[in-house]
Amino acid sequence: MSSNVQSEKFRGSNVKGQADLFLGPFYSLLRKEVMRFLKVSMQTILTPMVSSLLYLLIFGVSLGAYIQMKGGISYLEFLIPGLVMMGCLNNAFQNSSSSIIIAKFSGDLEDLKVAPISYTQIILAVALGGLVRGVVVGTITYVVGAIFCYFKADTVIAIHHPLWLLVFIVLGGLSFSLLGLAAAFWAKSFDQMAAVNSFILLPLMYLGGVFFSIDNLHPFWQSIARANPLIYFINGVRYGILGVSDVTPEHACVVALVTLVLMYWLAFRTLARASFLRW
Amino acid sequence: MTASENSAGVTKDTVSPLLVQNLSKNYGAIEAVRNASFNLNKGEVFGLLGPNGAGKTSIISCIVTLEKPTSGSIFVGGFDVQKNPREAKRNVGFVPQEIINHGYFNVEEILSFQSGYFGLLHNRERTDYILHELRLYEHRHKKVKQLSGGMKRRLLIAKALVHSPQLLLLDEPTAGVDIELREQLWQFVKKLKAEGVTVLLTTHYLEEAEQLCDRVGLIDKGEIKMVESTQFLIDKFTGRSVRVKFRNVVAPRDFELRTGETVGDLINKEKLDVNQIEDINISEGTLEDAFRRVIYQ
Ligand SMILES: Nc1ncnc2c1ncn2[C@@H]1O[C@H](COP(=O)(O)OP(=O)(O)O)[C@@H](O)[C@H]1O
Ligand SMILES: [Mg+2]
Repeated sequence: MSSNVQSEKFRGSNVKGQADLFLGPFYSLLRKEVMRFLKVSMQTILTPMVSSLLYLLIFGVSLGAYIQMKGGISYLEFLIPGLVMMGCLNNAFQNSSSSIIIAKFSGDLEDLKVAPISYTQIILAVALGGLVRGVVVGTITYVVGAIFCYFKADTVIAIHHPLWLLVFIVLGGLSFSLLGLAAAFWAKSFDQMAAVNSFILLPLMYLGGVFFSIDNLHPFWQSIARANPLIYFINGVRYGILGVSDVTPEHACVVALVTLVLMYWLAFRTLARASFLRW
Repeated sequence: MTASENSAGVTKDTVSPLLVQNLSKNYGAIEAVRNASFNLNKGEVFGLLGPNGAGKTSIISCIVTLEKPTSGSIFVGGFDVQKNPREAKRNVGFVPQEIINHGYFNVEEILSFQSGYFGLLHNRERTDYILHELRLYEHRHKKVKQLSGGMKRRLLIAKALVHSPQLLLLDEPTAGVDIELREQLWQFVKKLKAEGVTVLLTTHYLEEAEQLCDRVGLIDKGEIKMVESTQFLIDKFTGRSVRVKFRNVVAPRDFELRTGETVGDLINKEKLDVNQIEDINISEGTLEDAFRRVIYQ
């Protein structure tokens, strides 16, 4: 009997009662998502930093010198919150989509299906993983932009409404992370994933008011632009940082919340129908 | 919910580790599995034996919910894998046929994630034990691509065991594996059996089934032709074959000995002239013969 107990211990017991099927899978998957982008931080953090620096140089300095925005702010100042949010959303999307596409390709997506994990746990963990990367990239972009602005234009970019900023970063990061998850679970090939990137994500980004104020648009284009949810996320962040925006933060917040709910629904629906089998 | 509320697969006081009932799986027009039914006893090693394309992987994929059955049902420990997937899956370990890559992560990290997926956030004791057992401990800081083929396969097994499953599914564990590793894996399966783990393994190696399995299900073209104890199959369907060489006759004659028959019986039955016999050669029956008889009869 006692030898039995000993061998049980030697076998490395894991008493079933200790298993936490609620937090365990969620925490483990979230940890994996975050570790994954940290292990390739060259691509996932440094590249976005370089690209926002390029945007600042090209648009903020060379072209921006000729543009004056309303409310007495320079184009460079106007640009920074947009770049922060674009970096955040884009990286949130890329994190969940590339994580899942790679998992499909290498086969470890099957591990998730075979384990006792619920769709909700997968969705929450992957969405949060994307948000973490979005926040990291957004923060770096802000710091780079603020330093750049300080030396170039002698202006300090202070954060006017930190709580609003947090609200829009979190809602936006989660929404785009969920969109990336849905797209990657839906995609049956690299080509399909690339198509989502270039035909949906990029147009939304570039027409989302990072580089222009919708007030400067023709009324017809203004109404088109208002149909793009990115306008609200980006203007929300602009309000959070600069205290000025094209839409009120309350209005933007409602749109952001509705977008998040829609994206969650889309992610859940796609996941429930998706195949976890390897490509 | 307790296991007994899900009545299928529950007989009196024992719950079947795995019960497959009238399982069919079609891929479009391809009928990969046709109305397959079998039941595992606690603690046994059960082999699904059949040629490539017989439908073995399809059955395993349905058990672990990677594929959805076209019809039929599967119960693990009394839980319906379709209706109660999480309860069913928490006691199952699955070793897939194909190697899985894990990109940036090393062996230790992979096992830590895998433990977490089964709800075990502090599982170091168990994972270290498994790493030692499968002789991967020295390689725990390597990534999958830095491991040899044999180590990759052992890692798959390690992953399947982190949560001490009661049911282990091994899909062609020794396909494409060298003889030494095959022997090691066989020993390991025997050890797991001794620990009380129920094992379902698929194979197309008859020798493997013969060595490891208490019972065998013969499967071909999606249909389970027969489920019997390994010994019974060998006894019933294999005869020892006897080759007799006669004096002054060039071509030897072949006879078959049925179970329980002796060479003496044969000589009497066939009225052979003992004085004319130059040589007698007896070869023992194998599961291979049984397999041929059942599937290609
Ligand atoms: N995803 C799939 N799509 C279409 N046909 C498949 C798929 N998976 C397996 N098959 C077919 O189903 C049959 C059974 O395959 P499988 O279960 O892999 O057999 P085994 O594991 O016994 O070799 C084969 O004819 C195979 O080609
Ligand atoms: Mg197979």
